[in-house]
Amino acid sequence: MVKIFVLIKQVPDTHNLQINRASGTIIREGIENVINQDDFHALEFGLNLKEKYGGEVTALTMGPPQAESALRECLAMGVDKAIHVCDPIFAYSDTLQTTLVLKEVFDKIKDYDLIITGTKTSDSSTGQVPYQLSEALDIPLLTDIFSLDIKKNIVACHRNFGHESQNVEAELPVLLRVGRHYNEPRHISLLGIKNAFEAEIEMTDHACLNSPDCIDGNMKSPTRVTKTEKPEEMKRKKEFLKGSTSEKVQKLIEIMQGHSIEKIWIGKQHL
Amino acid sequence: MNFELKDKQKLVRSSVRKFSEEVLAPVAPIIDRDAEFSWDTAKELSKINAWGIQLPEKYGGADLDSISYSITIEEISRICASTGLTVTVHNSVGAYPIYKWGSEEQKEKFLPDLASGNKITGFTWTEPNAGSDASGIECLAVEDGDDFVLNGSKIFVTNGAIASVLVVGTRFKKENGEEGMTALLVEKDMEGYEIGTKEDKLGMRGNPTTSLYFNNVRVPKENVLGKISDGFKIAMQTLDVGRIGIAAQALGIAQAAYEHAVEYSKGRIQFRKPISNFQGVSFKLAEMATNIDAARLLVYRAAYLKDNRERFTKESAMCKYYASKIARKATQEALQVHGGYGYMKDLPVERYYRDVKVTEIYEGTSEIMKLIIAQQILRGNI
Ligand SMILES: Cc1cc2nc3c(=O)[nH]c(=O)nc-3n(C[C@H](O)[C@H](O)[C@H](O)COP(=O)(O)OP(=O)(O)OC[C@H]3O[C@@H](n4cnc5c(N)ncnc54)[C@H](O)[C@@H]3O)c2cc1C
Repeated sequence: MVKIFVLIKQVPDTHNLQINRASGTIIREGIENVINQDDFHALEFGLNLKEKYGGEVTALTMGPPQAESALRECLAMGVDKAIHVCDPIFAYSDTLQTTLVLKEVFDKIKDYDLIITGTKTSDSSTGQVPYQLSEALDIPLLTDIFSLDIKKNIVACHRNFGHESQNVEAELPVLLRVGRHYNEPRHISLLGIKNAFEAEIEMTDHACLNSPDCIDGNMKSPTRVTKTEKPEEMKRKKEFLKGSTSEKVQKLIEIMQGHSIEKIWIGKQHL
Repeated sequence: MNFELKDKQKLVRSSVRKFSEEVLAPVAPIIDRDAEFSWDTAKELSKINAWGIQLPEKYGGADLDSISYSITIEEISRICASTGLTVTVHNSVGAYPIYKWGSEEQKEKFLPDLASGNKITGFTWTEPNAGSDASGIECLAVEDGDDFVLNGSKIFVTNGAIASVLVVGTRFKKENGEEGMTALLVEKDMEGYEIGTKEDKLGMRGNPTTSLYFNNVRVPKENVLGKISDGFKIAMQTLDVGRIGIAAQALGIAQAAYEHAVEYSKGRIQFRKPISNFQGVSFKLAEMATNIDAARLLVYRAAYLKDNRERFTKESAMCKYYASKIARKATQEALQVHGGYGYMKDLPVERYYRDVKVTEIYEGTSEIMKLIIAQQILRGNI
């Protein structure tokens, strides 16, 4: 039985995001919170593995009380269990503090085979947690994977690394960071929603941790945000190409090469 | 009093909205244009339990509350009103009376296939000579041993071409001379059951409306729904439920029209300004928004009463009357805001304008809604 844990985070819905022009920070009031888009792909990946190999999928989040609704959504999508890591002292954690809390949580869980994460979150976009957590737990990290086989305690996976496709093997437990291009998250069913709101969510707080002393989101996060700026807006350029179609195509290719685009496909022809 | 949706209901809204925008949006204009029901879409709807929204889990349903039901129909109809119609009729006037009045054998026989969407159902009362006056039906089922022999015809049957089983309103005549009105579960495979040609309609073209002919159809007695003489009561109480769904459907169409009008008016420049800068346009938006809010509250209240109280006849008639009326107005005004572009098939507002009209007609016309509301008031239900 494969024990799968999917790490998810609740983030402000970036569809309607507004930036406070004076402070440069996100205006969070009145913005709906949603599950980070990448994490839906991580959930789908986990659910697919369960459907193939059996086992159990648990969604896990560290977040404030309102993150409960994100876990309910994971349950509605089909995960078996949900764990909410929540304590006021975890607030303001940077990625390192978050990692330390998660390490503590997994040290207590002990029995895990796969931890799956998305690539990054849409609110801060550091993408650091998967790397840090695999170091903290001292387990292999496999990134950019799009398919995976499990045989006994060995995972064999395909990963896309730049322009290469690699086959990689590792021993369980492993941490998988999945991209958003390799699956299409399923739609949530109405029965799933009904069951999600009848399920119990397991709570983990500061007192549950084995060695809580190193944890204090506000005081012990080494990261400092000194300034947030809006990037300068790029002016769009336009250029009309003249000549016959083949001349225009040739010109276009030159322009694109000038922008260091390495490979250009036209139809099936590889230039 | 609480005006906030529960977290569960909010998740219903966001999930069905996502499903509708991704799965229904591409097919909506096509099934309208071709006047074709889409079985592929029906299969997709099965995956989210849309065919058994309120049926108990043991029959394969999602066992949701009536506000969640309304939200589901609203969100589906916001993208594709034809699909909203197929789904709400199947659930609320097809599966619901079987669940409410059916015997355990009937439930076990029909509900799992209906909840999964393997089979589709509906409700047929209207006949050539009996529309608003539902008591005027002429179809006749005559007792003959273990069966009733059914003769007559029905018109304007929603889901007519795709339903495997229908709740059919008919007169009955027993061997002992007893007469009355009854509701029979008539199955498509029964001999003598004939589906008429598909109607060519103004709107809701993705839902196949047909007539039906019964030529000596032998319906076994175990297919009588509820007490034999309760047919009329069953029909009226079923329509009380059905109307909440139709109101939710109207609401979804109104919401779509309104959203399009807002977006378009902000982008369309005339006299060097977005047309939303003109009060002649922005006041239309203000009216739509207010009316839609008011209608939504009426719909959710009726749904709430259905879950919590016995009587909601008046409130369900009110919500259908009001939601269909303001929805018709909203689509009309949204089209007007789009000017000539709104009249073209390139944009969906002309479809909303065509689809919405029938919400003022089926499951009781607006005049009949007012008649029901007035009757209730004058009987003391003020
Ligand atoms: C697309 C579509 C789908 C339908 N689907 C179904 C279905 O699945 N099952 C089903 O059983 N029926 C269905 N119907 C039938 C629908 O319910 C009837 O059309 C409706 O009840 C009106 O009946 P009628 O068409 O005979 O009009 P009529 O009853 O002839 O009414 C004509 C006009 O007279 C008015 N009127 C009638 N009586 C009164 C009165 N007492 N006071 C004031 N005004 C009055 C009406 O409001 C209307 O304006 C459907 C209809 C349509 C158009």
